[in-house]
Amino acid sequence: MMFHKKAWLLRLATATTVLLAAGAARAEGGAIKGKVDVTPAKYLEDTIVYLKEVKGTYPPKTHGLGQKGMRFIPHIMIVTVGDTINFLNHDNVVHNVYSPDGEGYNLGSFKQDEKRTYTFAKPGVYSQLCSIHPEMLGYVFVGQNPYAAAVDKKGAYEIKDVPPGTYKLAVWNAKLKTPDKTVTVAAGKTLDENLSVKR
Amino acid sequence: MIRWTSRAAAALAVAALLCVASNAYAIPAFARKYETSCLTCHTVYPKLNPFGEAFRRNGYRFPGIDSDYVKQGTIVLGQEANKKTFPNSVWPGTIPNSVPLSIGVNGQGFVIPSSTSTAGRNARPGTVLDLHDLVAEGHIWTGASLDDSITLWGELTFVSDGSLSVEHFQVLFNDLVGPKHWFNLSVGHGFPNVTPFGPHSSYLADQMVPNVPIGELLGNTSGWVLVDSYTGLELNGVVGGRFDYAVGLNAGASGISAPTEDYYGRVGFKLGGLRSDGEGSTGAPQDTLRPWAETSLHLYGFGYRSNTFLDTTAGAPTPNDVATTWGLGARAQFGSAELNAGWYHDKHNHGTDSATEATAKVFFSELSYVLFPWLVPSIRVENIRLDAQDAAGAALPSVNAWHVMPGIAFLVRPNVKLVVAANWEHANGFPTVGGEASAWTGGAGDGGAFTIAPSPSTVDATSSSSEFQTISISMAWAM
Repeated sequence: MMFHKKAWLLRLATATTVLLAAGAARAEGGAIKGKVDVTPAKYLEDTIVYLKEVKGTYPPKTHGLGQKGMRFIPHIMIVTVGDTINFLNHDNVVHNVYSPDGEGYNLGSFKQDEKRTYTFAKPGVYSQLCSIHPEMLGYVFVGQNPYAAAVDKKGAYEIKDVPPGTYKLAVWNAKLKTPDKTVTVAAGKTLDENLSVKR
Repeated sequence: MIRWTSRAAAALAVAALLCVASNAYAIPAFARKYETSCLTCHTVYPKLNPFGEAFRRNGYRFPGIDSDYVKQGTIVLGQEANKKTFPNSVWPGTIPNSVPLSIGVNGQGFVIPSSTSTAGRNARPGTVLDLHDLVAEGHIWTGASLDDSITLWGELTFVSDGSLSVEHFQVLFNDLVGPKHWFNLSVGHGFPNVTPFGPHSSYLADQMVPNVPIGELLGNTSGWVLVDSYTGLELNGVVGGRFDYAVGLNAGASGISAPTEDYYGRVGFKLGGLRSDGEGSTGAPQDTLRPWAETSLHLYGFGYRSNTFLDTTAGAPTPNDVATTWGLGARAQFGSAELNAGWYHDKHNHGTDSATEATAKVFFSELSYVLFPWLVPSIRVENIRLDAQDAAGAALPSVNAWHVMPGIAFLVRPNVKLVVAANWEHANGFPTVGGEASAWTGGAGDGGAFTIAPSPSTVDATSSSSEFQTISISMAWAM
């Protein structure tokens, strides 16, 4: 019985320590959220809000981008320089993946359940095209940092866990534009920034 | 008596032909494409408001980036990013996700109040109400864009007599080179832009600029008239938002395989109001309840040379008829009031039945006021003066005819219209064919063209004659 009581106290102490540590981690970063007003509204889907030049080291990650039902899913993928994407063909028709943007690449054609891999070495926005199905389009947004978010169907966005500091808040849209905004993010605070993009 | 009756009958036949002349109306395919009302571009259709005229001049595109305004779904035939890999990929384009077609019907009925109307009651004694052409034409229109620069425009017309014609079909390559709107090329079958405005942009008539069918008037078989659809090329544009031009080359009205050598040109300049290309906020309507209203003056001039090769196997007297035509015009708008006026000189070297010279001098004007968005009273006045030579080359007496057309255009709904117009005509002499007085024809009235005939039999080529021809009731719908 004594043994069980000690074990319980140990678990409680561990949990408390973990919770305190997590709280401290959250307090280190801030957030930016808001809404993007897109004119014409039909271009809302292709909109990303991001921070330019946030110093830091970002370990590479691997993501999956599917070709399913003759579409790129997700339509927009946000990654960081050094990240890798596995392009997977879910369809029972042959697909291709290529991009004319940046350094440009062509991953060849591949059958159902086959995948191709590409690691993005430079920041930028890469159109994802399929030479076999010219109507297909997706975008890979390669940021210098991971602090970026695509807008939802209502134009809302939220960038979380941003280190405190002053940054340029920018918007990428496939057809529209807006000037950058200077924002200051405070630890543990959420900054509200509404944006507007147009021709 | 027999001669008089046959002339009147001929006039009636001509009137019937003119009644079913081309009527290019608004096309709801555009309303669907942009999910906008007909009233964005029209007042009482097919009359275009300043924005609609700019849309037409831009090759049926909105100012700015056209695709920004397209709400109808499109099927992407190639993503824009493919342009970066051209020529290793096909240049991208789109098509609407539903077939961009519209349908419509138009026609007119006539009340013939006067027993002396040569084109109506006298030709068919007892005819007071004629509803024969109440549904005269059916139309299928198409209007679409392949991308932000290439557009399509077409019209297929079914006439109540069973005939079918392609009235328009053009591919418009817009913004070919240089600054936007400077150089556009249209290829296909359509109306030469001898004015800066839509050819059917009138409240009362089928077209703003009236035609003079010299061939019909003077017994020749030449069928060329100034305002009609021809097959060819046209380069046009708007420079600096205010200066507009068009130059074109087409196959004309030869009706047989012949050299394509009809050519024309036009220049125009707009002062005040919305820019001719519709760009920018300059001239935007000051009164949002009257978006058609502006204060502006648009001046233009044009020249045209046609060479109509006639089918000599059909007994035509000459191998060709060369027409040299030039004219001037203006549109002045002050708020909801608009005055269109113009004059042109149309000289044919082989225009008569004996292949001698004939010249028409044509004046037209239309004054309108948009009282309500659905009610526009207007009055049109047209005058055609004709100078021709006899077989020996001697000048025949100069003759002329006036046409006065007061009327009211109604919109029952944005896509359903009704026009009631009275047609009064006065002939000061008649054209001479084979040495005898012949009927007048021509003008632009929708069911109310000049059709006055020399009657009774005592009337000759120098007599004056007046008549209250008809009250026309035109109706049309489109969807």
